[in-house]
Amino acid sequence: MGRTADVAVIGGGVIGASIAYRLAKAGKKVVLCERYDLTAGATGACDQMVILQSKNPGIHLRLALDSAAMFQDLSRELDYPIEYFRHGGMITIENEMEMGVMTDFVARQKKIGLEVEIISRADAAKRQRGLADHLLGCTFSRQDGHVNPFKLTLGFAKAAKALGAEILIDAEVTGFKEEGGKIKGIKTAKGDVDAEVTVLAAGAWSPLVAAQVGLTLPIKPRRGQIIITEPGPPYVVGGILSAQYIVAKYHPETLRDAKSRGVQLGVGLALSQTAKGDILIGATREFVDYEVSNTREGIREILKNAARLMPGLKKMNVIRIMGGSRPYTPDGLPLIGFPKGREGLFLAAGHEGDGIALSAITGRIVADLLTEGKTYTDISPLDPNRFPLIAS
Amino acid sequence: MENADQEIIICRCEEISRRQILAAIADGATTIKGVKIRTEAGMGLCQGRTCRRLITQMLAQSGARPAAELYPPTSRPPVRTAQVGEYIREEDD
Ligand SMILES: Cc1cc2nc3c(=O)[nH]c(=O)nc-3n(C[C@H](O)[C@H](O)[C@H](O)COP(=O)(O)OP(=O)(O)OC[C@H]3O[C@@H](n4cnc5c(N)ncnc54)[C@H](O)[C@@H]3O)c2cc1C
Ligand code: FES
Repeated sequence: MGRTADVAVIGGGVIGASIAYRLAKAGKKVVLCERYDLTAGATGACDQMVILQSKNPGIHLRLALDSAAMFQDLSRELDYPIEYFRHGGMITIENEMEMGVMTDFVARQKKIGLEVEIISRADAAKRQRGLADHLLGCTFSRQDGHVNPFKLTLGFAKAAKALGAEILIDAEVTGFKEEGGKIKGIKTAKGDVDAEVTVLAAGAWSPLVAAQVGLTLPIKPRRGQIIITEPGPPYVVGGILSAQYIVAKYHPETLRDAKSRGVQLGVGLALSQTAKGDILIGATREFVDYEVSNTREGIREILKNAARLMPGLKKMNVIRIMGGSRPYTPDGLPLIGFPKGREGLFLAAGHEGDGIALSAITGRIVADLLTEGKTYTDISPLDPNRFPLIAS
Repeated sequence: MENADQEIIICRCEEISRRQILAAIADGATTIKGVKIRTEAGMGLCQGRTCRRLITQMLAQSGARPAAELYPPTSRPPVRTAQVGEYIREEDD
């Protein structure tokens, strides 16, 4: 059975769901096609942080701030409890090198409008029990928060449906419909969808889908493993990251001679507690193709790192482990826009470790571009054509 | 009678009723995982050991998929409940 839509969306992760919702709200007829089920990809295997402090001061931080502002009212707007809480966040600083990087980072973030500061070990301890004695201090921002990624995605999907969007699950996209050099829709396991525009939002799998129309996307899957403890009383306040993560992300050269297994696996602390009480402990950053299994080594390195920074975690009971494929891009920014030479296709993928935090604003930007042809801010750094997409 | 039936608790750990699970199936869930993300059934302390069979039956009855397909292969080894500290200590052996 064929369907017709203004916009077909490929991928039922947080990004596809957010886009479907905003487009439906703007009056577009949307059909979203998901291969397995909503949240089957990275969205269903991730931490829950909406951390602003980890974002590079620039467009990345600006978009994260705008997205966070949208989350504040989103439960009411979607009529669905997305469990967004602004409990603040900290980044642990262990040595002088990290202190140097973070001092500079924080100064530049303040200029963009983030409320963030460096606090002493003693002040950090007033906020959070169980921190290691050797910490030099932490950065702190009260604007940081977290959100339940499952509820967020289901909430977007439910609200989109209420506005007339169709959400097809078990509907793998197997090809595109092309006519006169233009992309006119998609072929799926649940039939064809004719659409004026097709939005590719399949996260780490986007390159596989795009290859069917001869596009080479620079997105690669980057595995993250995380560990979940049994629910307990409130312990972890807000979100906690380690400066290792920032240093690894923005100053990889400083890690060049780091030989520890943890560093090689890209381990950086990502810690938070859910509304139900489970503590999420992350994470690795590994290039292992589309593998999402867990490894003993990965789990151990994550826990070793977490217990070093926060010995108070040692008594927590582990009950579950997960792994997911983050959509990595070489410059850490997503690809959002029309790829040249493939009329009818729009890309919205490559949010790597920030897709939850950036989901709300991504939906808005895509809907703006597809309805008005422009959006509220300069997003040229996200233009997919900054990469060579068509092999010559 | 019908109504009382609907309020029967299927997942005890998370206190999820038959009605909530049927609503998840109506929302498109075709697998155990699909029910889990929509209701949190199966995410409790027993990690679904108690409720999985009942939910599988309900899914099979809904006819969304043949029963044989209801157990998607998973690469996750069941985790032995242990303290963080024990996981780390293992390495020193
Ligand atoms: C361990 C870990 C921790 C993380 N922590 C955070 C965090 O704290 N904060 C944060 O903001 N982000 C975090 N992230 C990143 C975040 O999870 C991702 O950026 C985000 O989920 C990406 O969403 P997405 O919708 O683009 O991709 P996905 O969620 O991967 O969705 C893509 C969807 O496309 C579907 N698909 C693939 N191929 C096809 C096809 N051919 N046809 C139809 N559908 C298809 C897939 O099944 C999948 O459901 C973390 C990630 C990991 C792995
Ligand atoms: S009865 Fe459902 S998780 Fe325990």
